[in-house]
Amino acid sequence: MSLSEFWDFLVLGVVLGSLYAVIAIGYTLVYGVLQLLNFAHSEVFMFGGYGGLLALTALIPETTPSGTGSVVYVLIGMVAGAALGGAVAFGLERVAYRPLRRRGAPRLVFLITAIGASFFLYNLAGKLFGRNPLPMPTMYENKRVLSVFGAELTITQVLILVSAVVMMIGLDYVVNRTKMGSGIRAVAQDPDVASLMGVDIDKVVSRTFVLGGLLGGAAGFLFGTNSQVWYTMGFLPGITAFAAAVLGGIGNVRGAMLGGLLLGVVETMTVGLWGDDWRYVGAFVVLVLVLMVRPTGILGERLGRTA
Amino acid sequence: MLNKTIVKLAVPMAIGALALTGCGGGDSGSDGAYKIAFQGPLSGDNVQLGQNMENGIKLAIDQAKASGDLDFEVEYVSVDDQGLPDKATTAAQKAIDDESVVAVIGPAFSGPADTAAEMFGAAGLVALSPSATRADLTTKGYKTFLRAVPNDSAQGSGMAKYLSQKVKADKVVVVDDKTDYGIGLADVAEKDLKAAGVDVVRQSVPQKTPDYSAAAKNVVKNKPDAMIYAGYYQDAGPFARKLEEAGFDGVTMSGDGTNDAQFIDLAGDASDGWLLTCACTDATKEEATKKFAADYEKEFKQAPGTYSAESYDATMMIIEQMKKLHAEGGVERQALVDALRGAKYKGLTKEFSFDDKGEFTNQAIYLYEVKGEGIEYQGGIDELVG
Repeated sequence: MSLSEFWDFLVLGVVLGSLYAVIAIGYTLVYGVLQLLNFAHSEVFMFGGYGGLLALTALIPETTPSGTGSVVYVLIGMVAGAALGGAVAFGLERVAYRPLRRRGAPRLVFLITAIGASFFLYNLAGKLFGRNPLPMPTMYENKRVLSVFGAELTITQVLILVSAVVMMIGLDYVVNRTKMGSGIRAVAQDPDVASLMGVDIDKVVSRTFVLGGLLGGAAGFLFGTNSQVWYTMGFLPGITAFAAAVLGGIGNVRGAMLGGLLLGVVETMTVGLWGDDWRYVGAFVVLVLVLMVRPTGILGERLGRTA
Repeated sequence: MLNKTIVKLAVPMAIGALALTGCGGGDSGSDGAYKIAFQGPLSGDNVQLGQNMENGIKLAIDQAKASGDLDFEVEYVSVDDQGLPDKATTAAQKAIDDESVVAVIGPAFSGPADTAAEMFGAAGLVALSPSATRADLTTKGYKTFLRAVPNDSAQGSGMAKYLSQKVKADKVVVVDDKTDYGIGLADVAEKDLKAAGVDVVRQSVPQKTPDYSAAAKNVVKNKPDAMIYAGYYQDAGPFARKLEEAGFDGVTMSGDGTNDAQFIDLAGDASDGWLLTCACTDATKEEATKKFAADYEKEFKQAPGTYSAESYDATMMIIEQMKKLHAEGGVERQALVDALRGAKYKGLTKEFSFDDKGEFTNQAIYLYEVKGEGIEYQGGIDELVG
């Protein structure tokens, strides 16, 4: 691998990794608060893709927009994706998880419910939107606009990077600096004491889901823009992002971001060196190695303590 | 206590219900209708290819009925295998269990064909596939598998021939998608290109890779004159986009799995100039199939897709043999297999006949090119290379 190829693949890896990071946050937030592995989060992500797609299909004009037009449509797509993602996550918590929580169901039941909800949601999407993949409407001419160490980035790649960074900084702020964030952290540390201190646990849990859903939905829109939207698109990125959350220390927001970036880079570098056959081999070897040294992930577990 | 009672009651009832439906399936032939079944992807990721074929078959059955010279009833049934080998056995069993099914068109894809052909063989039920092109399907001794399409060897050879003789490429990257179909096609193309003295770099990009940017970079860094993608349109779409973004300017080529209008939808402008091979002719261009294309469009509100016309022909061929057998006393599964093996049928698309392994005897390959909004028919590869 020559140096210029190294930069090419590194940059591609960072772009993919930043998407993984944003999805991973959804897993980690919910785990931090409920110790629940929300496997249906991959479907929240998928619905985000459809949200953006449907809004843009309805609104975008025949000719490819440019300038401010492009910016407006990107924002519309992103907001629509985030909104549908948030709505699905909200509904998921209400319909699937809250009744279980009320009845004090064992962990395993939550896990199976999550998997069941995931099956239900992607088949629902297949029914609603058809099973053929759909391309995201063209919001701009995807030119190469930026050069980093000789690696040329397209508008889509810059868009993914910038939005991911903004979302991550924003979320970090929300969790660490706002009242809602301290509620989330309090419930994560000790739900019983938190509720004694006047924290409405149901509200906090619901908000946590919506927060993760907003990010997951926006990530779905970005993923769809970079590739295409189809009803099982959540599966592989979902699994990878979940692995990223574990890698960084599940329950730890900054850990999820770090884990996502790392997995994206390792995956893409592996592809660059040995081909797409080895994509997940490289990523999961790193996962196993890290967990052997640090069983709780790079930054350690627990949303409450370290986030 | 109440719960337990319900459970005790529910179990035998459920079993009873299952037994009832089982009987229902077996008895449905008693109304005297023969059924022609289609096995292929009617849900899942490659549903468009399945629908192309299903529509062709339905049209054939409707027209045969409308023609008035059938003195028996023919019905259409479908069994859905999603194009996946692991779903194929259940789908095949459904067709086999329905005793009124006398012939199966399909399985549409090579992987499912490989898992299901043995079962059809044991049941003595003919499986006539107008689209499963993996080369080795006819070398495994399946008793009732017939193929009405040139195999991947022919298609891979056609690709290699065109790139080496017409494009005069010195270096070609061959990418497969890790499916049975993709690997089979890529293997043949690689072998023939090498035999023609062309430098070949082989790469694999598994289906549904979440990000094709790295794969595209891998192609570009080898600086080939041409690239062959052996896979389906769902992945070829984003791959084509990423190749364009990565600045690839060589010749891009793919096979019949990509030869669908969906590819253009998914790849957008990046699909422009892609060469697509197919064992299928263009129904809307060839003189013989124009009427078919018009009928199809009227019925289904879309132009015929890949293998629509071939499926139509296969159905008509089966119905023709059924007519003969019916006149001699009745259509039996095994008798139909034997009749089809020896049959010659002049279809809209080509002449149909099989050798003693069930392999199609006509191995011509055709070339298409994506131009603007459509896939344009270029002609037979042998004529183009000249």
